[in-house]
Amino acid sequence: MEHSVSYLGLIPLFPLIGAVVLGVMHIDTCTRRKLPEKLYGVLACIGPVISFIYALVVFFQLKSMPADSRFLIHDAFTWFSVGDLHITMGFLADPLSSLMLLFVTFIGSLIHIYSVGYMAGDENFGKFFSYMNLFLGSMLILVLGSGPVVMFVGWEGVGLCSYLLISFYSKDTDNVLAGNKAFIVNRIGDLGFVLGMAFLFWAIGSGGFDYLSLRENAHQLAPGIGLTICLLLFVGACGKSAQIPLFVWLPDAMAGPTPVSALIHAATMVTAGVYMVARFSFIYAEVPLAGSIVAWTGILTALLAAIFAMFQRDIKKILAYSTVSQLGYMFAGVGVAAYSAGIFHVFTHAFFKALLFLGAGAVIYALHHEQDIWKMGGLKEKMPKTYWTMLIGALALAGCPPFAGFFSKDEILFSALATGHTGIWIIGVTVAGMTAYYSFRMIFLVFHGTPRNKESFNHAEDAPGVMTIPLIILAVGALFAGFLNLPALFGGNLNVSHWLAPSLADHHPHVGISVELLAVAASVIAFAIGITVSYRKFGQGADEPEYSGFTEFCYNKFYIDELYHAVLVRPYKAVGSVIWKFFEPNVTDIHVKIATWLYQKAGTAFKVFQVGYVRVYAIYMVIGLSIMSLLLSQSLN
Amino acid sequence: MIQDYLILSIILFCIGILGVVSRRNVLIIFMSIELMLNAANLAFIAFSRLHLSMDGHVLAMMVMAVAAAEAALALAVVILLHKHKGKLDSNVFSLLKG
Amino acid sequence: MFADWLFTGFSILSVLGAIGLVIFRHPMNGAMSLVITLISLAGLYALLSAKLIFVIQLIVYAGAIMSLILFIIMFLNVQNDDLPNEKDRFLYLIGGGVVLAPVFFFLKKIVQSIPGTEATIVGNGFGGVKEVGLVLFKDWLLPFEIVSILLLVALIGAVVIAGKRRMSK
Repeated sequence: MEHSVSYLGLIPLFPLIGAVVLGVMHIDTCTRRKLPEKLYGVLACIGPVISFIYALVVFFQLKSMPADSRFLIHDAFTWFSVGDLHITMGFLADPLSSLMLLFVTFIGSLIHIYSVGYMAGDENFGKFFSYMNLFLGSMLILVLGSGPVVMFVGWEGVGLCSYLLISFYSKDTDNVLAGNKAFIVNRIGDLGFVLGMAFLFWAIGSGGFDYLSLRENAHQLAPGIGLTICLLLFVGACGKSAQIPLFVWLPDAMAGPTPVSALIHAATMVTAGVYMVARFSFIYAEVPLAGSIVAWTGILTALLAAIFAMFQRDIKKILAYSTVSQLGYMFAGVGVAAYSAGIFHVFTHAFFKALLFLGAGAVIYALHHEQDIWKMGGLKEKMPKTYWTMLIGALALAGCPPFAGFFSKDEILFSALATGHTGIWIIGVTVAGMTAYYSFRMIFLVFHGTPRNKESFNHAEDAPGVMTIPLIILAVGALFAGFLNLPALFGGNLNVSHWLAPSLADHHPHVGISVELLAVAASVIAFAIGITVSYRKFGQGADEPEYSGFTEFCYNKFYIDELYHAVLVRPYKAVGSVIWKFFEPNVTDIHVKIATWLYQKAGTAFKVFQVGYVRVYAIYMVIGLSIMSLLLSQSLN
Repeated sequence: MIQDYLILSIILFCIGILGVVSRRNVLIIFMSIELMLNAANLAFIAFSRLHLSMDGHVLAMMVMAVAAAEAALALAVVILLHKHKGKLDSNVFSLLKG
Repeated sequence: MFADWLFTGFSILSVLGAIGLVIFRHPMNGAMSLVITLISLAGLYALLSAKLIFVIQLIVYAGAIMSLILFIIMFLNVQNDDLPNEKDRFLYLIGGGVVLAPVFFFLKKIVQSIPGTEATIVGNGFGGVKEVGLVLFKDWLLPFEIVSILLLVALIGAVVIAGKRRMSK
């Protein structure tokens, strides 16, 4: 079959092999002498790089095929088969997954290289890269899986790795708690995903449970069932992609090492939810109501997270909330049926967010693990490479034309406006202004003005080449990635959207050029206002403000964590303790106790037969033999 | 008739079991086991004659070898028992009593 | 028919010997009656044309193993006090007989369902040293070698078990 290629299965395999090899090496040597870090580093980077090369091969092979039948599949083996459910461990590369594949492996490889510098000297160097490789392998399974079940394997894999990596500095209890929080919140989302999958199978799974078959059968869905499935799947996406109400874990996830934040919580894992919604676009296309819910949830998340980001003081928390906010944009995009716009924002966001996180990592590295932006300042002279690359990242994030973020964000906002979601558009433009404000607040406070902490300022310098080169590559990506999908207004031809079209159920409304111009103009004006306000307040250096009243309320994230704790966690614990103290001893354990009591009594009764003489046991045996003979000779006739 | 030989072997076997289960003298128990082995041997030889094949003879020889090994070990155990307790009574040992 | 008479005689002797084994109180008497059984079994083997087994039964069983048992009985110098007091053994024997009756009848029923032949004596070419030896060393070579290992293990085991000095504890 021309669509079947066996090397698809190898793409996730390389990082997984790397994870096993590194893990075994680390376990074998961690208590004795250390292996040289260079060995670990080289081994860790080989897997992602080979996967990237294969991703390129896949991409060009797809490109050489006719546009309407661009897909490659590889069924490695039948995983299990129960009744109608035949699950193969299969991989599918179509335009959508090949695009994801390219940037996941590309950015993953860069972050691996960067981490070799960032993690140097850590005592668990090998463990870190084992987890990282495992994470990348899981992500590739998620992206390449040919059906929801295989995707779920990768889904859980990235969840696990995120837990492992968030609590990587496990000597500090706070980090472990943050890891637990991420894992538990993700679990709530996973429940939604599993239920959605079950419903989906129940409704249309009998014709085959992979994307290609499901897509053909999607029109058979009853509207009510379709809505249920969409919402359940969206719960899963909320958990993974940190949307309302499950976004609380992502800021806490910044407890992990910075490259982890870059790889997992910015570039790849959190986009899994968007990818999943785009993957199931054929179902969402059947149920417009579900799309609206997704879009509104997304845009409200974007607004809320932007408000939080404006008042944070930890550089990584700012970036974390900006990630949540950008994810909200992506969901708004896929919610208004502009799937290619959403995925394109995933793509550009991966570049500039990875860039910003790695830059922030370089700053933190230079300042010896100082993360408070009110203790930085004036680093522009000391760290020029970091400054310029981060500036590019911030411009892209803020949506300054012609950087990557501008085109992708504008595409989403334009689609919202064009499909008649004016409310979403207004909020989106507002959030764009806020984004410009908080990203430049960060840049001004960190790099401009006068140094607030002289001592650490004097020691700061640019990171070594192994860390800056990935930054520069990503900066180039953040600059130019947007041009891949230039809309017609700017003389482009929407390359990425056309590439993605076969995989997605895109809905392109036809509106006049005036609407398009309006959208662009509004975005640019919002950006300009945001950056101006930011410059007024912070451009010339600013003093640390007092947090009080509304700002304090925002700084503490509207007390949502405390609210969840009071409304969900404490009642849950209370119920648990009631069960533990009353229900368990009196209801469940009582059966066990009765059973043990019965066995004791029965044992005492049967003790009579245990006379201790071997001869008597032989007699028992002979009696048994005799009874057996009697029964058998009955049946012999 | 061959069946007569087989019935004789059954009779001897049953008497062997009887000796094992109803006597307390370890030497008698041991010799009853030898008797059971011999009954089995007789059945082997009789079947061998019935089918005119000599595999039964070989098996009988194997049984004898096993019986010899068993005799060596069992008698060693008897000697040890006598050394420890000065008795030949199997009821002396009731360690399995519940 | 001389052979039939011989069969009847040997079977009566062997059953009597077996009954003697389980009845006599003193192991020495039991051993002597077991010897009778073994020798009459050897005769029965001969009637079944198993010449080699007949000889081995006499030499190995009735000869070697029985003399080993007798030697041990005499070596232990069994006194009357050493023997268990088994006044109730007849009760046990009768009870055991009742319990075992179904087993006997069951086996007998099976045996009688086998199509039998007359046990006439086969002449040359069956059961001799050469014929059995050929079978033994052609088809049964591996079991034969395994048995040799078994015997070696039993030998060492017997030495270890019986050769222990007084227990130290």
